[in-house]
Amino acid sequence: MVSAIHSSSRRAATLCALALFFVIALAVAAGVGAVRYPPAAVARAALHPFGASGADQVLWMLRFPRVLMAALVGAALSLAGALLQGMLRNPLVDPYLTGASAGAACAVAVALVFGLALPALPLVAFVAALATAALVAALARTGSGISAERLILAGVSLSALFAGVVTLVLVMAPPTGTSLGILAWLGGSLSGRSWPELSWAALYALAGAAAALALAPALNALRLGEERARALGVNVDRAHWGIVGSAALLTAAAVSISGMVGFVGLIVPHVARRMVGSDARWMLPACALAGAILVVAADALSRALVPPIELPLGVLLSLLGVPAFLYLAFHRRAA
Amino acid sequence: MIEVRNAALAYGACVFLRGVSFALAPGEVLALVGPNGVGKTTLLRAMAGLHAPAEGEVVLDGRALQAIAPRARAREVALVSADGPAVEGVTVRELVSAGRLPYRPWWRWSPDPEDAGAVDEALSRTELSHHAERPFHALSSGERQRVWIALALAQRARTLLLDEPTSHLDMRHAFEALRLVRAFAAQGHAAVVVLHDLNLAAAFADRIALLGAGRLLRCGTPEEALDEVLLRTAYGVRIDVQRRPDGRVVAFANPDG
Repeated sequence: MVSAIHSSSRRAATLCALALFFVIALAVAAGVGAVRYPPAAVARAALHPFGASGADQVLWMLRFPRVLMAALVGAALSLAGALLQGMLRNPLVDPYLTGASAGAACAVAVALVFGLALPALPLVAFVAALATAALVAALARTGSGISAERLILAGVSLSALFAGVVTLVLVMAPPTGTSLGILAWLGGSLSGRSWPELSWAALYALAGAAAALALAPALNALRLGEERARALGVNVDRAHWGIVGSAALLTAAAVSISGMVGFVGLIVPHVARRMVGSDARWMLPACALAGAILVVAADALSRALVPPIELPLGVLLSLLGVPAFLYLAFHRRAA
Repeated sequence: MIEVRNAALAYGACVFLRGVSFALAPGEVLALVGPNGVGKTTLLRAMAGLHAPAEGEVVLDGRALQAIAPRARAREVALVSADGPAVEGVTVRELVSAGRLPYRPWWRWSPDPEDAGAVDEALSRTELSHHAERPFHALSSGERQRVWIALALAQRARTLLLDEPTSHLDMRHAFEALRLVRAFAAQGHAAVVVLHDLNLAAAFADRIALLGAGRLLRCGTPEEALDEVLLRTAYGVRIDVQRRPDGRVVAFANPDG
């Protein structure tokens, strides 16, 4: 996909606009739910942490962690997608390529079969996601570096293997809580999580995001191809390990609190490139903000469309987001 | 300057080039010629520090190239590789600025005045200044080749290595590219150019290194290197060489060979 050329001032203006939209999205989304609060009430509550009023209580106990988790999942998956697309020079790559989500889904399925309690699932998912990504990276290892082709092969095949295990569990498990729990995971959801899950996932996601930003110059050099990047003195092997490692950390942090949320990590990098160009120094922050806005908005919709039922977040994103993206992509091409 | 000392090049256990030795002199353009698959590109990569010789070594100012840190090496040796992936969404200036990466500490993201000066100079030498803000993917093949050369010039290295810089180029653009290389060498630097066209090599290079049959057959002036017997050994076909009245040599394929 051809991305446009952008001047620095226009890029800075775009980032500021995205940041503004992000804050507005947080305020509006926090007000959506069984009880609605106008943005002014949300802003007032934000200034009074765990205040005494009912609104303060609801917002601080339920809504704020929820919208922040949505923001974290969106930003983390988009950044991970952008990192891997940049490393593999392939716009079809999504953050789940490292096998992180399939490994996590498999571990969650097995944990549910063995009757593990729900609160333990985020930890199980996180550990499994990181372990799977490490296994994929180990399989893709050549010499001192990671081969792009081997990473794709290892990631896709291990993901297929774990997806097979999940299906097997779904077919064999008694049609009770186990299969429902697995299905909820596969559909993606942010319900039933709060500050504890958010805080430790945020820790890992922030570490991954910082590493991603530090890798921006290397990602820019990799746009020219591995050989040219090497000739410019870039340690390509180290950059590859850094990219795979931070993408795995970001993806694991996201799937541990939301389950499978598809589409975001694949599409948002394309949108970000259209907005600010392919220079990673601008594209990565734009990606994080756009991804956060998208998931915060989608999560608010999932709660608001047919209350009191919550639609699965990942399903909603696919149903609404994919046609919108296809329209944008092909409409523009036709024009 | 770079010196290749008794180098053997191999992929895995398969050694395909042995006993290669030559040294570059300041101000010199050396053309590397030989049949496909003989190892010209690998030799060039070894001279850029991207391929470790199986035996022997490549030496830069008395130090083994492999022992020099990648960024320091990139400040000394610039490589223009033959074919790279398509690069989209980048202006010519952004692309040429990548040549300053070896000078930029990790915490500094944007170019400083010295970087900007080097980029401007590289753009102006390659006559790309008026294309600086154009998207790279909108350029013609000849202009793109000049951009890759400009990127290497922005590295301000003393040695420039170019892998088939004239493939895909017509005569005029090939001449332009090689004139840039000559102008670079004229500043007391050195350049190595992989070429397939023996006459372009004879016209633009001070010396020609002829590779063939798994070794360096000869490294010398065009008159010395373009020898009919050696060319037959290298390419396995008959190539006639004629000396023109001005002393230059011209090589052409003999269809009966």
